[in-house]
Amino acid sequence: MTDQTTHLTEDDRQSAADGTLPVERRADVEAHLADCDACAADVARITELMKRTRDAMLAPPSETASLDDLWSPIRARIEASKVVSLGTGARPSNSRPLISLIVGGIAAALLLTAVMLRVRPSEPRTSATAQATPDTSVLRAVSDSATAYEAEAQILLDRLEIQRATMRPEARAAIDRNLHTVDVAIAELKDAIARDPNNPALRQLLATSYRQKVELLKRANAS
Amino acid sequence: MKRLLIAIALVGRAALGQNAADGPILAAHGLDSSAFINMYVPAGAVRLIAWDRDSIVVRGQKSKHDRIFFGGGRQGVKMAVESPSGGDSEPSNLVVYIPRHGRVSVRTASANITGEGVAGTFNSSSGNIRLSGVVSSVEAESMNGSLDLDLTTPWLRARTGDGHLLIRGAPQDVDASTIGGTLDVIAPKVKRGQFVSVSGDIHWIGSPARGAVFDFSNHSGAVDLALTSTTSAALTLSSVSGDIENGFTRVRPIASPPRTVRFNLGGGDAHVSVRTFKGAIRVRPQ
Repeated sequence: MTDQTTHLTEDDRQSAADGTLPVERRADVEAHLADCDACAADVARITELMKRTRDAMLAPPSETASLDDLWSPIRARIEASKVVSLGTGARPSNSRPLISLIVGGIAAALLLTAVMLRVRPSEPRTSATAQATPDTSVLRAVSDSATAYEAEAQILLDRLEIQRATMRPEARAAIDRNLHTVDVAIAELKDAIARDPNNPALRQLLATSYRQKVELLKRANAS
Repeated sequence: MKRLLIAIALVGRAALGQNAADGPILAAHGLDSSAFINMYVPAGAVRLIAWDRDSIVVRGQKSKHDRIFFGGGRQGVKMAVESPSGGDSEPSNLVVYIPRHGRVSVRTASANITGEGVAGTFNSSSGNIRLSGVVSSVEAESMNGSLDLDLTTPWLRARTGDGHLLIRGAPQDVDASTIGGTLDVIAPKVKRGQFVSVSGDIHWIGSPARGAVFDFSNHSGAVDLALTSTTSAALTLSSVSGDIENGFTRVRPIASPPRTVRFNLGGGDAHVSVRTFKGAIRVRPQ
């Protein structure tokens, strides 16, 4: 039994829209729809929705947007929002230096990993491979990596200076000794790079040494 | 009163699996099996033992001037040896039993750490760290203490400054480095290994696992690989100014451009890359 105060049930409205009402309900529902504008409008909306869905499914492929068509604008938006690689000597953003450094560090680590994987041997026994010619993308990647580590090391050094007064003398001595070892290595590598700037192996070693320094400073700051 | 009785019962029950020679019980608490245990022991020694009970029990000796802070719930506890005056505490000697599937974060200044079947992070300023057993993962760091890690674990990260770092057992994924300390690796099941030093020598003994990927990097220290006759690996050895010695004289290098030598042993199943600045690289039969 339906009237304007109770409205049709959801099941009745769906059945009325798709034409599957049981025969014994049909008269009551049609009578209600004739008197109730709200239910009639809702059934009309559902009917229209079903029709559009059916039409879309039946439409030939050419009438729907292809994945290629969809991909172009998506790709353009991704490109527009890409993080620009760190330039040589780039300094962290003033607003969020720590976050920038963390992101930079992760990016640098990924780049370094990519470089390390790239130089791994994959040739079979028979392929004689000469020393790789300098690849500018590799050089840039390891250079960025070293720069990011260097910036992070400087921040950690500043923090360490603040903590230094509260450290035990033996801990201070150990940190200084280890820092000296790493700094000597970094200085030697920088000298070598100045003489042979296109040698990716030198830059990889420099990035590794900076990574060592950063990790040492993190341990020192945490101790 | 009821709480006290429960605590006494817990301690009594827990004490059954321990050695009274470890010393008197200093603290005890019921824990979930995967609880997190955070502890700070400045000086002396702390020995951590995993056991199959859902509780933590701390035994040992401490100075009568110091006290043990101990707090938390079933999911985790914090523990620290502290001096009421706020100054340096005196050396304590603790033995801590924790649930086998729990995780610890242990920090010490000069105290040595020993762990048996315990996973987590172990950090010391100058203390030595010695870990063994089968664990889910381990991260161990010391500023200048030595590390002896005899572990079966899927993941291991180890760092020291000028201490000696020894890795053995059966870790699978290893990231290990020293500044000036010697790094020794005798772990044939490593699948992925990164071994780095600045001036300490790196020694690898054994045969890389099939499909393993190793990366050795050193600045001025030597890298010495003593490989078994069954080794199957593709090796790339490069040094800016250090000597490269290939002890497998019957193996013809694939390529030997200035300062780089590449050759295969066996089928070349594992990949081994070695880079130094001026440290010598030696590859020889074991």
